[in-house]
Amino acid sequence: MSYLEVKDLKVHFPIKGGIFGRTVDHIKAVDGVSISLEKGKTYGLVGESGSGKSTTGRAIIGLNNITSGKVIFDGTDITNIKRTKSEATKNIQMIFQDPYSSLNPKKRVVDIISEPLRNFENLTRKEERKRVQELLELVGLSPESILKYPHEFSGGQRQRIGIARAIALKPKLIIADEPVSALDVSVQAQVLNFMKEIQKELDLTYLFISHDLGVIKHMCDDIGIMYKGRYVEEGTAEDIFLNPQHIYTKRLVAAIPDIDPNKREAKRKFREEVKTEYDQSYNDYFDEEGLAYKLQPVSETHLVALPEKG
Amino acid sequence: MENKVKEEKANQPNKSPSGFSIIWRELVRDKLALISLFFLLGIIAFVFGIAFVLDQDEIVKVDLFSIYEPPGEEFVLGTDYGGRDVFGQLIIGTRNSLTIALLVTLLTGIIGVAYGVISGYFGGQIDNIMMRILDFFMILPFTMIVIAFVAIVPKYNTITFSLIMTAFLWMGIARLIRSKALQEKELDYIQASKTLGSSNFKIIFTQLLPNCSSLIIVTMTLNLAANIGLESGLSFLGFGFPESTPSLGTLLSYATNPQTLEYRWWIWVPASIMILLLMLSVNNVGQALKRATDARQRRG
Amino acid sequence: MWKFSVRRTLIMIPQLIVLSILIFVLGQLMPGDALSGQVGPDVDPARLDEIREQMGWNDPWHEQYARWMGGVLQGDLGESFRFKMPVTELIGQRIVNSFWLSVATLILTYIIAIPLGITSGRFNDTWRDQLITGYSYVGFATPLFIFALVMLWLFGFTLGWFPTSGSVTPGLEPGTFEYVMSKLYHLLLPAISMALITTYSTIQYLRNEIVDTKQKDFIITARAKGASETRVYNRHILRNSLLPIAAFLGFEITGLIGGSIFIENIFGYPGMGQLLVESISLRDYTVLTAVTLLFGIASILGALLSDIILSIVDPRIRIK
Repeated sequence: MSYLEVKDLKVHFPIKGGIFGRTVDHIKAVDGVSISLEKGKTYGLVGESGSGKSTTGRAIIGLNNITSGKVIFDGTDITNIKRTKSEATKNIQMIFQDPYSSLNPKKRVVDIISEPLRNFENLTRKEERKRVQELLELVGLSPESILKYPHEFSGGQRQRIGIARAIALKPKLIIADEPVSALDVSVQAQVLNFMKEIQKELDLTYLFISHDLGVIKHMCDDIGIMYKGRYVEEGTAEDIFLNPQHIYTKRLVAAIPDIDPNKREAKRKFREEVKTEYDQSYNDYFDEEGLAYKLQPVSETHLVALPEKG
Repeated sequence: MENKVKEEKANQPNKSPSGFSIIWRELVRDKLALISLFFLLGIIAFVFGIAFVLDQDEIVKVDLFSIYEPPGEEFVLGTDYGGRDVFGQLIIGTRNSLTIALLVTLLTGIIGVAYGVISGYFGGQIDNIMMRILDFFMILPFTMIVIAFVAIVPKYNTITFSLIMTAFLWMGIARLIRSKALQEKELDYIQASKTLGSSNFKIIFTQLLPNCSSLIIVTMTLNLAANIGLESGLSFLGFGFPESTPSLGTLLSYATNPQTLEYRWWIWVPASIMILLLMLSVNNVGQALKRATDARQRRG
Repeated sequence: MWKFSVRRTLIMIPQLIVLSILIFVLGQLMPGDALSGQVGPDVDPARLDEIREQMGWNDPWHEQYARWMGGVLQGDLGESFRFKMPVTELIGQRIVNSFWLSVATLILTYIIAIPLGITSGRFNDTWRDQLITGYSYVGFATPLFIFALVMLWLFGFTLGWFPTSGSVTPGLEPGTFEYVMSKLYHLLLPAISMALITTYSTIQYLRNEIVDTKQKDFIITARAKGASETRVYNRHILRNSLLPIAAFLGFEITGLIGGSIFIENIFGYPGMGQLLVESISLRDYTVLTAVTLLFGIASILGALLSDIILSIVDPRIRIK
């Protein structure tokens, strides 16, 4: 049994319309996603914007209601449970995409980071302050800045504050929803490496959501590729990057830029080939509505959404 | 030892200015608003101070020997049709008008903020129903409905009067706070609070409301000005304070007598000026606050 | 478009029902009933109970409500026991007076507000703009009743330019030219007083709208193509800014009702607002409920009208 198990997760949003505002249709943001994640590993969820990757993460932590399916964490079913004061909240935490809006502008750093502590642990003011200072030190910020406001920090520093808040309760699983995409490229690497460090230090498991395959390659052990609410391919990092099977994945992988200038021309040619293949064989890989098929195993670890043969 | 020094140092870190001190700085920079503020504070201190010494029953006592005295040595601002001192009535009237305007502003503020926050934060079906109710209250013509209620309330006094006014005045602020709450709750810091295990109640009080505070302060200040006008208007029509409790509107209502309007300016002109000055200065302060809280409009 | 209108009209039905129940309950709560003012003290109480029973005043409230509503729907608003005539008849003349006063006020408001708003927006941050903004701000902060008193004192009494009460000079034959002119003359001062004070929202709306539109790309494009300044304003800016003003007309009704209560009492103008106040001081509760109901319905219809016009003018409203 794996550490986090998501089974056939569906999140549908109603569309209201008509004279009486009845529900006329649904947007299928997430439509049958299954994930299984081992302890201490990092699982990457990739897709373009609107593919449902963020919604998947938010549904697991309880920010979106789950229409159907199951989420099992460490053997307990946590599907749509009440999160206040629950063990699941303590164990699963989230790092948000936008370090500007994810910190309350009216609060001082000490109040931001101690919010989870106040919910779950009965600490005196002094103990609390000490814990916050330790956490700040852990994420590489000066412990003296606890009375500052968020707007006095840079984007990278803010994201560290967000991380300090997420690890305050010593969680086991962290859902990182595009944690670096709002940051400058130069700061991205810093934050990513830092996340890797604390993963080892605190024995964390990551569900890493991103649209950037470069970042995913750097971080993840296993990868799932989403398109329009469904999986198109899932496998280890090796499976995905060295042996992509689905045409959508192939195109994504081909789009990763290469630093070596000598290979630039070859790379461009390769990209064009893939694009031609994509246009020609689009109908073989997607159904009439342009959605992905069911996943079929191609190897022990590797699943690809292909039409059933025959 | 070393630890202790470190801790002490951390206890007085460089504290950054809070939101309110920024607002205060802006207010001080705005000369007109600052003058208005001092004028208001002066009036309040003066009126409440003097009213403490003055005896309301003495002032409203009818004295048939000094009816319609023009301003002179005995009566600074003359007397009305019952021989009552206009100056005294002006002081007590200002106090009464201000008190009720403040009370109504406070009550509508509490109800409106609570209603707006609940509606906006929870959204969905709750919001839908709550907005339908609000829309209905919004449509009713305020003066008419208050007059109708005042006419039928059996035990009519200051408290019931404020409650009736409150019942039909909470919608404006509720609507503003609701749209603010709708915006704010989509932001990640509210979502983050949820993942950190804070209850909705706690999120509303410790996360959402602090971010609405400047809007609440500005709106309530502007409402205060409007309420001074509404109260004196209702008293003017005879549906506010009873005559034994003079309000600024009561003094003005004597001017519905053409003789008074034409020949006895001392009865109604001072009260008019008082209402105008009060409303203008409260509005000035409110507008300055509004500019101060809106970063785009800040003057410096 | 029609979908929104139908939905919006459907919303109005519960609003009307709630309003009617509210006013009915209000009427029930009023002390005494129509008999208590009419009969002498020597009438036998048992006889009174008999009459009450006959009139159905002891029936359950919902039956009484149904009867009252039935009457209202047929245009029967009950009997005024002070004026001794059907309320419908009593209201008839007053409602016409109030209607013309409102129309005059609206026309004057727009005549004053639209040119000022346009000037203020077109020449924003010049002395002209500051002057206009200053005027509208003072108007916003001045209560209507004080301003109206000053106007009456100045132009009615001191200068004697306008009549100080009534809606027409007594003794004139209805329908004659003199009669119409006299009516117009009587409502001019009240209407001007109200209009001067209520321009604030229109001026500020127009100003902000024009200042906003001025910087939009399509205006800059129009200028770049060489369109004259006048043409830019008439063809592009005003068309976008003036339409919503027409739509706010319905919302104005609520404000006009509030204003007319003050104005009519101050200027002694026999309209609905004056009747409302009179009916309370005379404790004529049938009239009070009738006036309140009519004012309420007018406001609800006004809001409906505005919402529908707005949805035509501004399609974004429809997605609600």
